[in-house]
Amino acid sequence: MPEIQINNIKVQAEPDKTILQIARELDIFIPTMCYLEGLEPFTSCMICVVEEKNSGRLLPSCSALVQDNMIIETDNDRVREARKDALELLLSEHIGDCQAPCQKGCPAHMNIPLMIRQIEEGDLLSAIQTVKRDIALPAVLGRICSAPCEKVCNRAKIDDAVSICLLKRYSADADLEQAKQFIPERAKSSGKKVAIVGSGPAGLSAAYYLLQYGHKCDIYDKNSKAGGMLRYGVDPAELPHCVLDAEINIIKSLGAIFKLQITIGRNIFVSELKKKYEAIVLTTGVIDDKLAALYGIEFTQKGFVVDPKTMTTSQTGIFSGGSAIRESKMAVRSAAHGKMIAISVNQFLNGEQLNGENSRFNSSIGKMEQKDLDQLLTQASDRKRILPQNSSGDYRAKEAVNEASRCLHCDCRKPDTCKLRLYADEYGADQKRYANINRKSVEIIDQHSSVIYETGKCIKCGLCVQITERAKEKLGLTFIGRGFNVQIKVPFDKTLSKGLKQVADLCVQACPTGALSFKSEKEL
Amino acid sequence: MEQDINLNEIDFIIKDIGAGADSVIPILQAIQSRYKYLPEKALQRVCEISDITPASITGVSTFYTQFRHKPVGAHGINICIGTACHVKGAERVYDSFMRNLNIQENNDTDPLKQFTLHKVSCLGCCTLAPVVQIDGITYGHVQPETVPQIIHDFQKYAQKTAHKPQKAEQPLSNVNGEIRIGLGSCCVASGSGKVREELIKTLIDNHIQIPVKRVGCVGMCHQTPLLEITLPGKEPVFYSNVQAEEINDIVRRHFRPKGFFAVTHNINHFIHNVLTDSSGGEMKRYPLDTRDKPVTSFLGSQVHIATELSGVIDPIDLEEYRERGGFTALKKCLTELSPEQIITSVKESGLRGRGGAGFPAWKKWDIVRNNNNGDKIIICNGDEGDPGAFMDRMLLESYPFRIIEGLVIAAFAIGAKTGYFYIRAEYPLAVKRVNEALDICRQSGLLGDNILNSGFSFDVKVKEGAGAFVCGEETALIASIEGKRGMPKIRPPFPAEKGLWGKPTLVNNTETFSLIPWIFRNGPDKFAGLGTEKSKGTKVFALAGKIARGGLIEVPMGITIRQIVEDIGGGIAGGRRFKAVQIGGPSGGCVPAELADTGIDFEALNDVGAMMGSGGLLVMDENDCMVDIARYFLSFTQDQSCGKCTFCRIGTRRMLDILDRLCEGNGVQKDIDDLEYLAIKTKQGSLCGLGKTAPNPVLTTLRYFRHEYEEHINGICRAKKCKALIKYSITDECIGCTICAQNCPVHAIDFKPYEQHKINPDICIKCDTCRQVCPVNAVEVI
Repeated sequence: MPEIQINNIKVQAEPDKTILQIARELDIFIPTMCYLEGLEPFTSCMICVVEEKNSGRLLPSCSALVQDNMIIETDNDRVREARKDALELLLSEHIGDCQAPCQKGCPAHMNIPLMIRQIEEGDLLSAIQTVKRDIALPAVLGRICSAPCEKVCNRAKIDDAVSICLLKRYSADADLEQAKQFIPERAKSSGKKVAIVGSGPAGLSAAYYLLQYGHKCDIYDKNSKAGGMLRYGVDPAELPHCVLDAEINIIKSLGAIFKLQITIGRNIFVSELKKKYEAIVLTTGVIDDKLAALYGIEFTQKGFVVDPKTMTTSQTGIFSGGSAIRESKMAVRSAAHGKMIAISVNQFLNGEQLNGENSRFNSSIGKMEQKDLDQLLTQASDRKRILPQNSSGDYRAKEAVNEASRCLHCDCRKPDTCKLRLYADEYGADQKRYANINRKSVEIIDQHSSVIYETGKCIKCGLCVQITERAKEKLGLTFIGRGFNVQIKVPFDKTLSKGLKQVADLCVQACPTGALSFKSEKEL
Repeated sequence: MEQDINLNEIDFIIKDIGAGADSVIPILQAIQSRYKYLPEKALQRVCEISDITPASITGVSTFYTQFRHKPVGAHGINICIGTACHVKGAERVYDSFMRNLNIQENNDTDPLKQFTLHKVSCLGCCTLAPVVQIDGITYGHVQPETVPQIIHDFQKYAQKTAHKPQKAEQPLSNVNGEIRIGLGSCCVASGSGKVREELIKTLIDNHIQIPVKRVGCVGMCHQTPLLEITLPGKEPVFYSNVQAEEINDIVRRHFRPKGFFAVTHNINHFIHNVLTDSSGGEMKRYPLDTRDKPVTSFLGSQVHIATELSGVIDPIDLEEYRERGGFTALKKCLTELSPEQIITSVKESGLRGRGGAGFPAWKKWDIVRNNNNGDKIIICNGDEGDPGAFMDRMLLESYPFRIIEGLVIAAFAIGAKTGYFYIRAEYPLAVKRVNEALDICRQSGLLGDNILNSGFSFDVKVKEGAGAFVCGEETALIASIEGKRGMPKIRPPFPAEKGLWGKPTLVNNTETFSLIPWIFRNGPDKFAGLGTEKSKGTKVFALAGKIARGGLIEVPMGITIRQIVEDIGGGIAGGRRFKAVQIGGPSGGCVPAELADTGIDFEALNDVGAMMGSGGLLVMDENDCMVDIARYFLSFTQDQSCGKCTFCRIGTRRMLDILDRLCEGNGVQKDIDDLEYLAIKTKQGSLCGLGKTAPNPVLTTLRYFRHEYEEHINGICRAKKCKALIKYSITDECIGCTICAQNCPVHAIDFKPYEQHKINPDICIKCDTCRQVCPVNAVEVI
């Protein structure tokens, strides 16, 4: 039996085993994409390379057999660099956006395409859950948001942007009309307390998420009613107070305690706050020198100085956002700050590393050409933009569904399970490392009842080809052509539904990227 | 439009070939030879009545270049873009055909469906470069401006020969002596078939009875077609560059003109002119005596082992082969030596595999011999895919018996019962000759049961490749024989342990087998006495490029590059400066003239960044751009990558992107750095030999000619090769003859008699036509 050394562990290995198998037996993790247990290793992606120290060779561990006296290192600098190189090459031909432009354009990074699909399917409970994962005050923002998302919507390049803001408002209003509104779950109480100073969009949002993390929140405001600029700076005709109150009530029912008509420095001193609370959030709106000096933290003309990723100020345990760091009329920006602050405060209170919101790798197609848009349009209805017909500006259900059907679904349907994205994050891959001038066009194959195939996201690992072959699918999938232009398609140009009659689900699950995905999230 | 197909024909093909999954490639080849393409209905029929699945037939038929899925035009035009043709302007010729036939981009057939253009890797007539073949008629030294005439001429010719019945019969042989005519592919390509026809006809017409014998390649491809007349008591006389219309004169020179009527055969006179005439003037043809100096030096420093008896023996005359010692080595091995002794002898000879990497032959043999996991298989790798090499083809065409003999010896040594010849389908003549030779061997007890009464039984099948360079890699070759896409697998397991159908398999190159009989006839020490310390014996090269005398040569290892270029090749043609040699084709590298004293040796070549490779040896002069050469090879390997592993599939493509940018004048410094980085990473990360060696042309040109890359960033191509970086203009030497204006295919030159002409740079496509046709050299490239 060959004896090998793997990350300084000596083992006796059976001769027919691969390096990967031995590593897995030892609980040593090696990333893989084109490998799936039970199938023949295809040795295509090269993400699983390890270094054999005697020969200095990089070996694909998924298929390289163990040999006597091998000295294997699975995670040194050279290996990491080779993995990054492989990822950068794969990404250089990856035609897909991890996130749709609207989601990237939204300051709160709300998952807009998902919300739209849920509205289209009539699943309004899921829609509001999606919305509220990132936006605490959707009914409010649905009325006053400047909607940066719609400015970058790909549909605008064809006719008009999808009415994202109105759809969000529709889902939020629908929720408010319910006898029992959607209240997110709260984690077990942490016993920690946070003071939030200022109950505008940033403060309210911070409270909404901090409460969910299980922390207690006291919200201080100098006015007699909560809402800040939303109540005192916006025309009630645009934003009726009843809507604002309804969303504030949801935050109250999560457990927020409002301490109104209290001015810091007058009714309560900063030192008392610091004593009483484990963290302080300053979402006071625009500050002046006097106010700034009161807290003794660093500030400039614009406002408090914060780390843009974690929203921490110069004093440990004090966080700030919204107009307090820079004046803005964009309520959604402040709401986004509120969410970011909540994430950082939670990390701080749990004694974790302060990283702020997890920012992930995002593949980007770049400039969309007409050909790409034509392909995307095949997934959407071609009707013109639909605006609410009644005077209140609310969508009726049918209008909302029809408007939602205009969405091009430019996002990836597997943003959280895609291995390419996962490892691009882990190895710090740069998609633009190799300029790619003549990129292929977007191609969407949408002839199957439940599966969508986006060829530009395929890494040609052939797992689906093997799966259909083993299942004896009559047509199945096959490689077409060779070299750089190799593709995976159904033989004889037949439809995807004819190719995938029995094992569509298995193929989607095996596909390491978003190339093969389910049309609807429900099937995940 | 799909043409009507008769399903019975398809059924018949399957019945004939077999319905097993591994029959897919021969079935596709049969369908394509019937319909000239693969009609989808035919493929679906195959799936209905055989074990072949739609996924398999689609995957395989789109993998190999030989197969096409669209109907073709009435005539096929093969434009050779092999290395030698490339450096002599094949791209411009291709562009000119596209233009003249009005073929749209992304298409290959003209609107009238008369002609279909194919780029082919190598037609094996490097000495006639650039070469174009239309329906089997070869045109050499083609220039963009001669394309319209060629098309016109072909159409005229096609009409004339549409109903041509004659088939000359072989004259009786009652005269001693013989006339030998080279019928290797390169000779045939330059018209020896027609010469032979004409010769036989003339001899019959004149009642001269002397055997006309076909012989294999003589190696002097720069002089083809070659004819040798040997008469008793006289020195043999060589004629080079022989044309059909000269046969009368030649025959008259040697035989009494009894009853001789000077009949002039004037058919296709024009074609032959185009065929060999590079300058437009009258081509001088002369009897060629081997004792003349140039030829002596061409042949002088060569040592013929693989090519022993070159130009002397009839490729498939078994008796002649035996008379000259053929199959004595086999007899000795079967009757006097044990398998172990055979392997020991091969070890003593120092023979290393001639496929490129130079793995000791005996070691592979030994591993297979000692592996007892099932029946053993032996494969002769004749899938020569290097676009500038044709040694294997020449060996298979000219010496099939020698290779079979070597193969049987190896089979006996390792204990194999079954063997395969894997030969590129692009080599129809080689396939035909090998099949003929195998039949003859079977009839003579040299193959089959109980060979030479030794008790040893062995037989061989021929498998045709279908157009994939990567199938030269042994695991891909095996996949191809098994009827799969030719995708390599990781080694180990090596084929010697687990090869074809999972059985222990020995794969050796054609040239390797062809050396075996000599070793046993002359003794291993004699072979080991040739060459260097680690590289023994000889190596066959296809010598081409900017050289006075190109052709197929066999030289002892250790000879220097300079000796090959200067002594054998006669130096650079046209008095230009020797710049570099590209050795080893797409896997090899460029060795600059300064290092021309490097010897031919596996290690020495590796040390300078090149590689023995398959044996292409391309000589370049100062008019060759090294960035362009790197781009040329990369575009080849990129196209030939099987598309499996990331580094090769995308890495070679990204390297090509960068080289394209550099050649188009859009490069920046970062591109050179990225190119080098990618080259190193692709070499290190690729799965098989193709990807691991594909960066070599880039790495060696970067190593020795980095300044040229840097110049390209600054918009300079010193060789004046990269179209985007050059401009055509007319000097005041212009005499206003208007020839350039008349010939310009895009009307970039105004017609102004007796005035100095001018080129409109916005319209000019830099096809070089004006410079070629100008009678006073007034067109300059700046």
